[in-house]
Amino acid sequence: MLYALMGLGLSLITGILNIPNFAHGALFAVGAYLLASAAVAIGNFWIALLVAPLGVALLGLVIEYAGIRRLYAAGHDYQLLFTFGLALILSEAIILIWGPVGYSYLPPQALRGGLDLGFTFYPKYRLFVMVMAGLLVLATWLFLEKTRYGAIMRAGIENKEMVSLLGIDIHKMFTVAFALGAYLAGIAGALTVPIRGVNPGMGVDMLGIAFVVVALGGLGNLLGAIAAGLLIGVAQALVAGYWTEASTVVIYAVMAAVLLVRPQGLFGIR
Amino acid sequence: MSRLKRRDVLKMGAIGAAAAGLGFPAIVRAQAKEIVILGLWDQTGAFADVGPILDRGMKMALDERGMKVLGRPIKYITRDGATQAGTSTRRTEEAVDGEGAKFVIGPWSSGVALAVSEVAKRKKVLHLFSGGTEDISGSRCHRYSFQWAASPYTAAKTVVDNFMKANPKAKRWHLLVADYAFGWSVEKYIKEVGKAHGLEFVGADRHPLGEREFSNYVQKAAANRPDVVAMINFGLDAVSGAREIFNFGLTPKIPLIMTWSSGVEELVQLSPEIRENIWVGSNFYYTADTPAAKAFVKSYQAKWGNPPGYAPSAAYSMTRLLLAGFDKAKSAEVPDVIRALEGIELNDIVGRMRIDPATHQNIRPYFFMRCKPKAAMKHPTDFADIIATGDTPLPKEHAACKDIGSF
Repeated sequence: MLYALMGLGLSLITGILNIPNFAHGALFAVGAYLLASAAVAIGNFWIALLVAPLGVALLGLVIEYAGIRRLYAAGHDYQLLFTFGLALILSEAIILIWGPVGYSYLPPQALRGGLDLGFTFYPKYRLFVMVMAGLLVLATWLFLEKTRYGAIMRAGIENKEMVSLLGIDIHKMFTVAFALGAYLAGIAGALTVPIRGVNPGMGVDMLGIAFVVVALGGLGNLLGAIAAGLLIGVAQALVAGYWTEASTVVIYAVMAAVLLVRPQGLFGIR
Repeated sequence: MSRLKRRDVLKMGAIGAAAAGLGFPAIVRAQAKEIVILGLWDQTGAFADVGPILDRGMKMALDERGMKVLGRPIKYITRDGATQAGTSTRRTEEAVDGEGAKFVIGPWSSGVALAVSEVAKRKKVLHLFSGGTEDISGSRCHRYSFQWAASPYTAAKTVVDNFMKANPKAKRWHLLVADYAFGWSVEKYIKEVGKAHGLEFVGADRHPLGEREFSNYVQKAAANRPDVVAMINFGLDAVSGAREIFNFGLTPKIPLIMTWSSGVEELVQLSPEIRENIWVGSNFYYTADTPAAKAFVKSYQAKWGNPPGYAPSAAYSMTRLLLAGFDKAKSAEVPDVIRALEGIELNDIVGRMRIDPATHQNIRPYFFMRCKPKAAMKHPTDFADIIATGDTPLPKEHAACKDIGSF
């Protein structure tokens, strides 16, 4: 489900803004560090979980407004360099602010320990993350499918020029889309903290998987990103049960297999 | 503006990955009288977090001597091997050919160090390394490479014997092993030493270097209902594994052994609750009761604020070992220093060390600790108590280094 959240955010940005966001992993890491710091400072995990992703969304807003906006006409090379450079700056900023050594943060008291599901034993916090990520994916889906602004965004993915000609402020939509993508990366990072702790390299680990999800789902296809995120997660869990050593490589094997059969991805058209 | 295509994204991903691997070495020529020593410490890649502290340890040992040995200035250069065999061997060759480095210490990864060891043999430069692979002083031993870390056999024997002494009923072991040279070596001897204690290995899963998602491995381990889980992995892999084992509720109910840990560097990343009932084997722990360790720890803490773990301590002690070799040889020629190091005996931070001339293996104590419960910690870095040390060398029948060879 976390993969789906990451993929959905990246797919939004890739689909609507038409840029490869190499800083998506760094935004995930910033979300994680903000959660850990806020939880310690406030002393309440739940408030921190509310605040940290909003901080990342705000950062996304600034990045789009001050940087990416100037590069829409510049071509993909410049966009790649900008987002890649931004990822490096954010990673180094994390080291400067929080130090090079990672640390752990325990789940809130109510979600510690595990549940015996009969066939397996599963940590309560992971079950919470599954439900929470599922709800977030659903909420994003409903926003895009059932609201007027969501419809405009989907139209923007299909044909920006047409949306612009209809008198809609496309630049404002770009900013909102980037901030929403950043929010999804930030909350995925925040939710991960009690499971994986924080360390400066955590964004790089997640970036690769997010790109796999986007390529597998079909570029800019939001339903595809959700399906691909779930497919990869399930494939990884299933393979790990029987052949643990292959649980990482299966992510890329699934992508290669799907792209061989459907080069445009599961739901993609380009 | 053109539409971004799937193939464009894949190409850009490849370009991005390639760009991340680039390094920019400074080219500075050595002066004739200088003794050039290379510290091959990763600043990028899987062990990027350890590189800077290895560099600290090495610098401290050189600074102690005022950057001089045999009355000649030492020129210390460091290069980023990116935790990759290709990059590390290239950087080493550049330093040897371009800058006159004849003494190489590092890198941190066992698999990469084996490749660097081959360069040392070909270029006829002295190479010191500390890590878990037994091959440097085993099947791939040669005259130019030395192993500072305890033999994987010494480590396995210290950990298994002393753990079983404290937990005689914990016979069902589940192993979680890093799938590269170091993991294989330690796993082999854990199983070998375990025979004498009647251990049953109910599972042994291998994971790739850099694994971050351990839930699948831990679910499998839990299903085997072991008395103890023993991890043979290192760095962030060990931290991620220990955290997940706690999240699944295995620890503190059953003990977790971190067989070959970096000690402080890993333990500081785990909360006290996660550390409860963790037993730790390491090549160094900062409360080691030796005069050299006490002086080093005091100086390190004064400079950096926190106690040193295995990494800076290994770099520090390897550098001191090399300098002791220069002193004994009264020469900075590679064959002279090698001859001087063969059989050398020193009292250093870990205690008594002796380099076996037949294998170039350091015969030295290995440390075994038990983590303290939160209530027993006197200060934030009071992670564990040393409960035993062991220095049983690899028995002759297991020694794979039959002939160390000539120059």
